[in-house]
Amino acid sequence: MILPKIEVRAVAKSFRRAGRVAESQIDALQDVSFSIAAGEFVCLIGPSGCGKTTLLRLMNGLIEPDAGEIFVDGKAGPVPGPWAGFVFQSFRLLPWRTIADNVQFPLQMRGIDASVRAERAREYLALVGLDGFDQCYPHELSGGMQQRVGLARALALQPEILLMDEPFAALDAQTRELMQIELSRIWEQRKVAVVFVTHSLDESIFLADRIILLRRRPGKVEEEIPVPFERPRWRYDIRALPEYSRLRAHLWDKIRGMVADEPQYKRIFQESA
Amino acid sequence: MSISQQTATPEPALTVGAKPRDNTGPDALPARQPRRKWWHRISVNCWRLIALAVFLIAWHLISIPAGKLLLPSPLAVFPAFLDLLRSGQLIGATAGSLVVFSGGYLLAVLVGIPAGVLMGGFRRVGETFDIYVNGLNSTPRVAFVPLIVLWFGLDIGAKIVIVWVTAVFPIIINTYAGVLNTDKDLIEAARSFGANQRQIFRYIMLPSAIPYIVAGLRIGASLAIIGTVVAELYTALSGLGHMLDQFGNSFQTAKYFVPLLVLIGIGTAISQSLKALERRLARWKTSSIEI
Repeated sequence: MILPKIEVRAVAKSFRRAGRVAESQIDALQDVSFSIAAGEFVCLIGPSGCGKTTLLRLMNGLIEPDAGEIFVDGKAGPVPGPWAGFVFQSFRLLPWRTIADNVQFPLQMRGIDASVRAERAREYLALVGLDGFDQCYPHELSGGMQQRVGLARALALQPEILLMDEPFAALDAQTRELMQIELSRIWEQRKVAVVFVTHSLDESIFLADRIILLRRRPGKVEEEIPVPFERPRWRYDIRALPEYSRLRAHLWDKIRGMVADEPQYKRIFQESA
Repeated sequence: MSISQQTATPEPALTVGAKPRDNTGPDALPARQPRRKWWHRISVNCWRLIALAVFLIAWHLISIPAGKLLLPSPLAVFPAFLDLLRSGQLIGATAGSLVVFSGGYLLAVLVGIPAGVLMGGFRRVGETFDIYVNGLNSTPRVAFVPLIVLWFGLDIGAKIVIVWVTAVFPIIINTYAGVLNTDKDLIEAARSFGANQRQIFRYIMLPSAIPYIVAGLRIGASLAIIGTVVAELYTALSGLGHMLDQFGNSFQTAKYFVPLLVLIGIGTAISQSLKALERRLARWKTSSIEI
């Protein structure tokens, strides 16, 4: 058996929340296990509060699990570093640095030579279609362009895995679809492993080799679903396929089942039943 | 490019519009060319001169019934200015005041910024001292003057200490606040890329504190000017403070206005140059309204 790129084994994580009366404990994750192969594209989906972002931070090594272990290339206990490239929902570019300097930032933290850094920044800005913008400041770019910078910054580390936390959620619907195509294109060129957190069922079906569906309170793996559609998927309309509707309906049934008991949704779902 | 260049708002750039406005989106309004009224076509510097002229005329008109003891006309202040300039007294006094100001202010900057950085960089240091720094900042600085005179005498050393004590606290407080207000998300992003604590401090916290630090420098500068005059009035009389005292007490009101106007000029020059510095260092900030 080939060693998975990253393996999450029986991981649990809880947070304490200071309340007015007493501290309460929120079980963000409990007994979560899955693994991701090198070069695989995996989407994590699930209702809000199921610990998707927490999982990404755990995989990166930004926080440690309360129980269980995470293995990267068979080694337990990941530490943040150039092996993982993080892409954030709110872009998180340094506003006082130009685009080129933003892409160079992680490389600078690694102590890489200035000339090598500059070359690398040029290469990856070109890859995301932003050549010519290197001397702009982030606030001069649109949201879509800023997230391209975020992607270039993560890729410039030449990571083995991309951790993407709802990277396109802050973009408008059109830009979002274009960015999905852009990401698939880059992924097919570079073949890094991707863990992509999203709330959008369509986004996950379009992008993923495999969808990991999580349930919440406590966060757990509900189901792992392979996505069979042929790549490249932007060459044809996958939404026209009957299998697409079936898969989407299945995912939506599951998620609706998870939230139907919540007081704010109960009324709606009972009426429609 | 900044919005300010597209609209009619002239300098100083009142940079409104934090979010870059996307005029190419599907729901963008068609570009509307507003009919520019004649008063939009006059630059702000021109308006400033007009305001100054109106003020001087009003001053002159009021001075006629008031009499030259209570309020001399600006037409009388100008010859007094030339007199004092020719005699050398004005230049000597201004130079003396500037030495006191710059000595105390530079010391305040040299102590204030590192102290604030230290408080922001080491949580315990900050938590320990911020109550005292804020307490001292709220204390009227004149209250320290007799003590400073007791310790440092009446000469330039004491004056510089007085200026220092008026200017240093807001610089410390602003620097500290700037370092503490660093966006937590940016810190986490840097951590995810493998930055260590020292790098996060150097490359994330310090640069993001710069706009706060410059704001602190501006507050400190205006307080330092107050401190300069206080020092010159309360210790051995010297500089522009001495001129104020001399001409105020001897009812030479026209001459009295000369050091006063010079102080206003110095204050304006310093605050304008710090504003320019702020624009330069914080040009990546788009959402600030300059005051």
